[in-house]
Amino acid sequence: MSTESILDFAAQLHQAPTAPSLQERELHLVVFRLDREEYAVPIDLVREVVRVADVTRVPQAPAHIRGVMNLRGRILPIVEIRTRLDLGPAELTPASRVVVVDIAGRILGLLVDSVGQVAKVGERLVAAPPDEIRSAGADAVTGVARIGTRLLVLLDLTRLLAAVSPATPSPGPSSASHP
Amino acid sequence: MSAREHPFAALLAEYVSECLPLAEDVAERAVALERAWDEGTEADDIARPLKGTLHTIKGNSAMMGLPALQTLAHRLEDLWGVLLSDADSRDAGVALLVRGTGLLADLVRATASTPPAEDATASFLEEVDAFLSAERGAREPAREERRSPDRRTTERRAARAAGELGSDGAISTIRVDSRRLDALLETFGEAMIAQAGMRDAMRHLTHRRSAADELAQLERAMLGLDRTLKRLEGALMETRMLPISTVFSRFTRLVRDLAHGEGKRVRLEVAGGETRVDKTVIDRLSEPLVHLVTNAVIHGIERPEQREAKGKPAEAVITLRAVQRSDRVILTVTDDGRGLDPEGILRKARALGQAPAGDNPSLAEIYALAFLPGLSTADQVSQLSGRGVGLDVVASSIRALSGNVTVGSEPGRGTTFSLRLPLTVAVLRSLLVEVSHERYALPLADVAETLRVRPETLHQVARQGMMTWRGEVIPVLDGGRVLGGDTAESRTYCVVLRSAARHRGLLVDALLGHHEVVVKALDPSLGRPPAVAAATILGDGRVACILDTGRLADGWVEPAAALAT
Repeated sequence: MSTESILDFAAQLHQAPTAPSLQERELHLVVFRLDREEYAVPIDLVREVVRVADVTRVPQAPAHIRGVMNLRGRILPIVEIRTRLDLGPAELTPASRVVVVDIAGRILGLLVDSVGQVAKVGERLVAAPPDEIRSAGADAVTGVARIGTRLLVLLDLTRLLAAVSPATPSPGPSSASHP
Repeated sequence: MSAREHPFAALLAEYVSECLPLAEDVAERAVALERAWDEGTEADDIARPLKGTLHTIKGNSAMMGLPALQTLAHRLEDLWGVLLSDADSRDAGVALLVRGTGLLADLVRATASTPPAEDATASFLEEVDAFLSAERGAREPAREERRSPDRRTTERRAARAAGELGSDGAISTIRVDSRRLDALLETFGEAMIAQAGMRDAMRHLTHRRSAADELAQLERAMLGLDRTLKRLEGALMETRMLPISTVFSRFTRLVRDLAHGEGKRVRLEVAGGETRVDKTVIDRLSEPLVHLVTNAVIHGIERPEQREAKGKPAEAVITLRAVQRSDRVILTVTDDGRGLDPEGILRKARALGQAPAGDNPSLAEIYALAFLPGLSTADQVSQLSGRGVGLDVVASSIRALSGNVTVGSEPGRGTTFSLRLPLTVAVLRSLLVEVSHERYALPLADVAETLRVRPETLHQVARQGMMTWRGEVIPVLDGGRVLGGDTAESRTYCVVLRSAARHRGLLVDALLGHHEVVVKALDPSLGRPPAVAAATILGDGRVACILDTGRLADGWVEPAAALAT
């Protein structure tokens, strides 16, 4: 549901503004790095960020699944988000992290090169993605945000992961009930 | 789930767990009664409890504020009264009773999530009213409804459905939310994993010479913990076991309704319903069994006139049977219909490029093909072999329970599906092996033998590895090829896997011993990797995949890439 917050502002262009000069909304984003670029996802989809433990390969698993990892007794699928975005597979370093996300009740781990701080970005600073982005993962890029000289690439996790595992998302609001 | 939002959710859940067995019992009795009356056999034993049970359901429904169910139960009581007193009305009335009691069971079951709307039964009630007034018009004016005379026994029966009454009348069993049991089991699993970790650490310690006393002490403690966990495991598993009759009981009506719809005559026979199986297995068994039984009625069994022409009794028999064999339960679904058509299956498999490698596949191998995806879609296969709806779906849901399914058939005589399932799905006795630096667990029940590979027994025939084993030539798979590791090296050990159809060797790098592992389901995000059934967490905290030995043994996991060197 909260994924919409990114798309909201685009939709708002079509809505009759009830209070035109409302205080500008801020997006709270978790920022991580793949190669030299910074990417961001809404913080309310992120459950936690953990170090990379041993990842067990799963034979004949779908592409973009690196394997599974033990997260306190839970078997966590690890998504190779880099290959999904047309980058080469990750090389593990001490800075590598797993961003654990909850998308409509599905708990998945995103393998990233490193994780930065949480960023607050005014919606005004978010622009539509440039047309030139034509990589495999372009459909999941919902916008780019400028903070000074930094450029954050905003990702829609639902779209990003739909291609990884088209499994039907678990129904209903059950996701909210688990801490 | 949405029952959680109901203000009386807990009460409602209690109502369902109390009334559902009663409603299912009534529905089953109605079907049995219809048959008994049709055949003119003794029906008193079947009929006696009907009225009292309906009355209990009516009372409970009224108490819960479920008017639709209350009214339905009440009208069924009326209907029952008329059928009982007037034998002439039975032919027309009993079908109505069967439908009504079936509807009642369905509505009670559905109440767990959504209480039925008040008009959910309207059209059925109209039919009952029409029937009743026609009956009354034909006979005397309406009679006073009699109160159930045996209220006390009814109440006692309700109590028995809720929990077993001990000999002194005290309730000796209690009802526990199964989610609590699940949580308990999960905690137990964590204790097992922690213990496995301790055992590993101790094994490393024993290689050092110092601190011998402390080590001995630790070892004693470990052994104690071992024993305690074993007992705890047994007790815990016992709480999760339910008689398999809880699944079987639904099929009487299913078979009857299907047979009526198809214009066939079918009798369902059930055996071994008292066999106790883990609740998870029970829960996930219903769907594949419905598939198989539906297939049997619709595709397997011939029309009465066809049967008679073949010299068979017009009435067909479908048998559901459960037998326990050590830590497995074997379920069979048998029909005496037309049987499978091996040539048809083989033709179809060849068309799909899925035929077995050899020139003379055995019948067991051919029948195993029926479970391949795409081979048994209804329209295609019902023409060539009379079998249909998605057997691959059945197979995959059984495999998800670490079980396997096979089929045997005799043309013209009938078909038997055999489902081998673990009694419990929570803990699995397994053999741990290593292939290309990854560890895998293999269900021990499917391991026929492990042996050190002697290169001279291995042969390569048309790219297919073969091995002589106990005087038999069996195909072998390289673990690295199937599981996606390196393929260049030669492996040290061979694990001979068995399925119903055949044996097959799996070459691995190392055997790491027997372990009891806690089974964890794979996240749906991982798709359904054909070679993997589930996963587990080992003593060192790493995840290992539990392999689907049935599929490995039957050779279903060899992708084209695995064949190319």
